[in-house]
Amino acid sequence: MASYIIDKKDLKILLDKFLKEFKVYGPIKPGLDSSVDEIKSIDDLHLEYKSTIISPKKFFLPPKDTLFEFKIQKGNYEIKEIVNDEKFILFGLHPCDVNAILKLDEFFSGKFKDKYYQNRRKNSIIIALNCTQPGENSFCKSMNAGPFLYKGYDILLTDIDTKYLIEIGSDKGKKIIQGLKLNIASKNDLLKKEKKCKLANKKIKKILDPNWLPKLAEENLDHEIWIDLGERGGVAGSFPCLSCGSCSLVCPTCYCYDIYDTVDLSLKNGSRVRELDSCQLLEYGQVALGGNFRKDRKDRIRHWMFCKFGAAAGSKNSSCVGCGRCIRVCPSKIDITKVAKSLWRKK
Amino acid sequence: MAKKPKIGVFKLTGCAGCQMEIFRMEDEFLDLIKLFDISYWKMAKRDNDDKDLDIALIEGGISTPWEIEEIKCIRKNTKFLVAFGDCAIGGCIPSIRNWIPQMESEEIVYPDPSKICSTKVHGIGEYVKVDAELKGCPPHRKTILELLKSALLKIRPRLRQHPVCVECKFQGNACLITSNKLPCMGPVISGGCGAICPTLGRICEGCFGPMSNPNASALANIFRDIGLNDEDIKRKFRKYSGMSPEFRLEAGH
Repeated sequence: MASYIIDKKDLKILLDKFLKEFKVYGPIKPGLDSSVDEIKSIDDLHLEYKSTIISPKKFFLPPKDTLFEFKIQKGNYEIKEIVNDEKFILFGLHPCDVNAILKLDEFFSGKFKDKYYQNRRKNSIIIALNCTQPGENSFCKSMNAGPFLYKGYDILLTDIDTKYLIEIGSDKGKKIIQGLKLNIASKNDLLKKEKKCKLANKKIKKILDPNWLPKLAEENLDHEIWIDLGERGGVAGSFPCLSCGSCSLVCPTCYCYDIYDTVDLSLKNGSRVRELDSCQLLEYGQVALGGNFRKDRKDRIRHWMFCKFGAAAGSKNSSCVGCGRCIRVCPSKIDITKVAKSLWRKK
Repeated sequence: MAKKPKIGVFKLTGCAGCQMEIFRMEDEFLDLIKLFDISYWKMAKRDNDDKDLDIALIEGGISTPWEIEEIKCIRKNTKFLVAFGDCAIGGCIPSIRNWIPQMESEEIVYPDPSKICSTKVHGIGEYVKVDAELKGCPPHRKTILELLKSALLKIRPRLRQHPVCVECKFQGNACLITSNKLPCMGPVISGGCGAICPTLGRICEGCFGPMSNPNASALANIFRDIGLNDEDIKRKFRKYSGMSPEFRLEAGH
């Protein structure tokens, strides 16, 4: 499909058109601790952000989500579905996050279709932004998820100095910019994008070879590194794991959740709620009569890392995209890339 | 309709804040008294009966020989005994005095301590079997309701013991430890509060007590790395749950 360009100062025209028709969410702060929230005008939008605390999975799999409400009347149940039909645009997502959404798509549309997820996904439009300033924790390049994007977007923006290059990735994308007078991108503009891509790749300092990650898991189930991480002094300059769950909660590909019912004081009306869960918490592996599949902290952190290496049940659907959020958020300074490297070295 | 379950609310060594939290359930209070027969609650009513209780909510820890007798007596008269709040669970703030000689703390407070007969402060679990714990200083209204509703339905209450960090992430907050280098207790403290303090930019003080399986020593090392000295760290772990087995070492036992 054709590519266009827009002057940076004209971005307002583009955004204003979107705001007329959709709810728009985008990065609302610069820096690493940004967040994707509602944008009401161009002044709210900070496309120069580096990363967000919580990944955009919150738009498809909210931390807390009421699935349906129920009522018991004369012995019969009455069920009311909660349907969210809001159409929205996610503006300025980085390639790592878009790739993570593609993984979630696979997971939630497998054998069991999750209509709550799919409904939200159907109503979303993704305007991605190639990452020209990867942060110090990013290793998306190694995980084939960035810093530039090649699939999964409806519209893709690339910062080429005074302009943005606009590429269309789907019919949805084509439709929403219809009616706007945009200049066709020149060969020179596309060349500029290539250059930016090379520059961005060079800025990424954390490098891993993703091919040996699942193998690492297979060969190191009983490695002493897990005891170091769980109980002793940590690994490669980190403190031991706190099992606080922050890593998995901010992770764009961690989809594990818990489902429970709540009732009101009449004991007749209630709702079924889905809540984001974390394998780092003791209760996650708990079963009836007090059994627990992962009682020890070392087993929990090992499980999470293997899952991110693509070696757990989720396989590629839950494996890492290299966004670096877990490294940034860990109070113990645990760095998954350093743990992987330590495992490789100590083999 | 079946007979309403009988509830008793008792106060031992505590500040009465946990009982106040029941009063603060303004939206649900009238529904609650329709469902339960509040048989004993000195703060709320004149005539009290502490016999044959279905549920007893115990606020406060044990700090005198009489309280030891009292809690044993309540246990005998109750089917389901709940440690209601941190004081009943592990002594909480009153237990800070356990780290100084009894005589010294008595002399600070009383002009003539010769009449005072008090013990070190412990949770009620030190003396009697406890059936459920409601964490918090005070417990959150939602968890009180969850326990009472579960009692009516005869199901296990959903009282999670995940760390404050989980609720902090649900709120979308930046981490006060990694982003601001502040000594937040969140990673070892049980949630249930909705991460109110960190959401307002203040560190977690630890008022819900230890989470399940906390790594207190790791957090103490992180605090040392941020620049706290050993005394500061001890004080932080002693403040709400110094008597808990999970925090004992870091609190300086």
